[in-house]
Amino acid sequence: MNVIRLFVVAGIACALNALPAAAQTAAPKPPTPKISTATKQKAAEKNANPDALVLADFQKRIDAYMAIHKEAAKDAPPLKETNNPAEIKTAQETLGARIRAARATAKAGDIMTPEIQNKFRRLMYPVVTAPAPRGTTGRTVKADVKEELKENSEERKEEGGKPVALKVNATYPSDTPLPTTPPQVLMNLPKLPEQLEYRIVGKNLIIRDVEANIIVDFVPNAIQ
Amino acid sequence: MMRRSLLFVLMLLTLAVPALLAQNLTLPVKNGSVKFAVIGDTGTGDRHQLAVAKELAATRARFPFEFVVMVGDNIYGGNSAKDYDKKFATPYKPLLDDGVKFYAALGNHDDPSERFYKPFNMNGERYYSFKPADGVRFFAMDSNYIDDAQLKWLDEQLGSSGSDWKICFFHHPPYSSGETHGSNETIRTQLEPIFVKHGVNVVLTGHEHFYERIKPQKGIAYFITGSSAKLREGNITQTQLTAKGFDTGYTFMLVEIVGDDMYYQVVTDDGKTVDSGKVHRVGKVEPTPNRTAQPVVATGGSERKTPSKAIKQ
Repeated sequence: MNVIRLFVVAGIACALNALPAAAQTAAPKPPTPKISTATKQKAAEKNANPDALVLADFQKRIDAYMAIHKEAAKDAPPLKETNNPAEIKTAQETLGARIRAARATAKAGDIMTPEIQNKFRRLMYPVVTAPAPRGTTGRTVKADVKEELKENSEERKEEGGKPVALKVNATYPSDTPLPTTPPQVLMNLPKLPEQLEYRIVGKNLIIRDVEANIIVDFVPNAIQ
Repeated sequence: MMRRSLLFVLMLLTLAVPALLAQNLTLPVKNGSVKFAVIGDTGTGDRHQLAVAKELAATRARFPFEFVVMVGDNIYGGNSAKDYDKKFATPYKPLLDDGVKFYAALGNHDDPSERFYKPFNMNGERYYSFKPADGVRFFAMDSNYIDDAQLKWLDEQLGSSGSDWKICFFHHPPYSSGETHGSNETIRTQLEPIFVKHGVNVVLTGHEHFYERIKPQKGIAYFITGSSAKLREGNITQTQLTAKGFDTGYTFMLVEIVGDDMYYQVVTDDGKTVDSGKVHRVGKVEPTPNRTAQPVVATGGSERKTPSKAIKQ
């Protein structure tokens, strides 16, 4: 009888011990799909997947941005190999200024509309929360991103760099480290033209124009 | 009389010091070999970068390397023309004037527009390859942004490089004992299978501000040389990865490839050798996805199992 009591007590103790650990390791809930009524109607009319329409819309908006980029690049000094770094800087800044002028009224969400943002959060969620494969410590991409954010922030402060202003058309500060975009994230997101790139800044995903060094648009809280 | 003796002693010293220094060179310095240097995390423009650059240039008199590989963080902070001058052109002027070529990879502190700076020899590309001599090929990668296109490029380039020595260089180390960063597993997960598939021999990286030689992993020799201007003292933690670590001084690496052997020597800004040895390629292996990389055997370098804080050479 005493032995049974001992087992019961030990069982309860083990269960109680496990509770906080379970609470700590519980993964955040995946983002819920948010598709606008207009997209739902369009999908119903075309008998199409609403998510595919959202991604097609994203592509259309990126194409429109690239049309502006190419137009702005026409008369700007070209980015080409040179021994004079001043020419690189001038080319980058001139292109940036022209794009800014052409998109003077651009605001956050013009490209990354709320439903595109939601789709991106859903695309990133499984990648950033999945543990790394066998042969590694099993740390998640999210943990890696968080760690890099901390390191970059420390290094930026050490060097007196400016924080990144999460603003459309803002220049990415040249004295601030560029955060690495995990390959797994890149593979799960729609491809961008070579002039653009995804970068993770804090919990946010930005689209950066590499040649003009400006923030094109962003997804706030992309990492859930 | 006193003056004459002093002059004589000075003359002797002038002759003896270079000879003594030359004895420190552990590399074979053979005619026709591929000789190069590796520097990393250099672009500060401060006295530490200048000291390493000075020692590097002085070493060239005894070890005539033809080119320098830069493993990223080439220009810290701003990237104006003044920055390029202060953080690259001025420190390495003697080498540049002598026609030494620099081949850069991008670090997380580098603006990708650096690829247009001609002295970095990147041909306007974020990732590229070059063949400095028959039998040796280098692959510079942008580890800040490894997308499908870059992985496909690497796979194709390595696949067509035949039996050359295959040396990859980029910024983030897939294996590291650094307390600050440590092994970059997300990058390792993507790159290592391609390295193994095509028999990459050596991987050169930086990012960690110290020197570390990793025990060969899946047949590949990994080196971290991220202390050519910045230093994180005591940052190497005790792991099973370290073959040799040095985190108490600024370093650069000298490399010489002779046939199937790659000799290396790691030197501090005051000319002390902190690691040396050779990596030996074991035979020639046809690329195949089902076998490990062409194995390398590290020989000659002293192994260590304790954190580098204790290492003094």
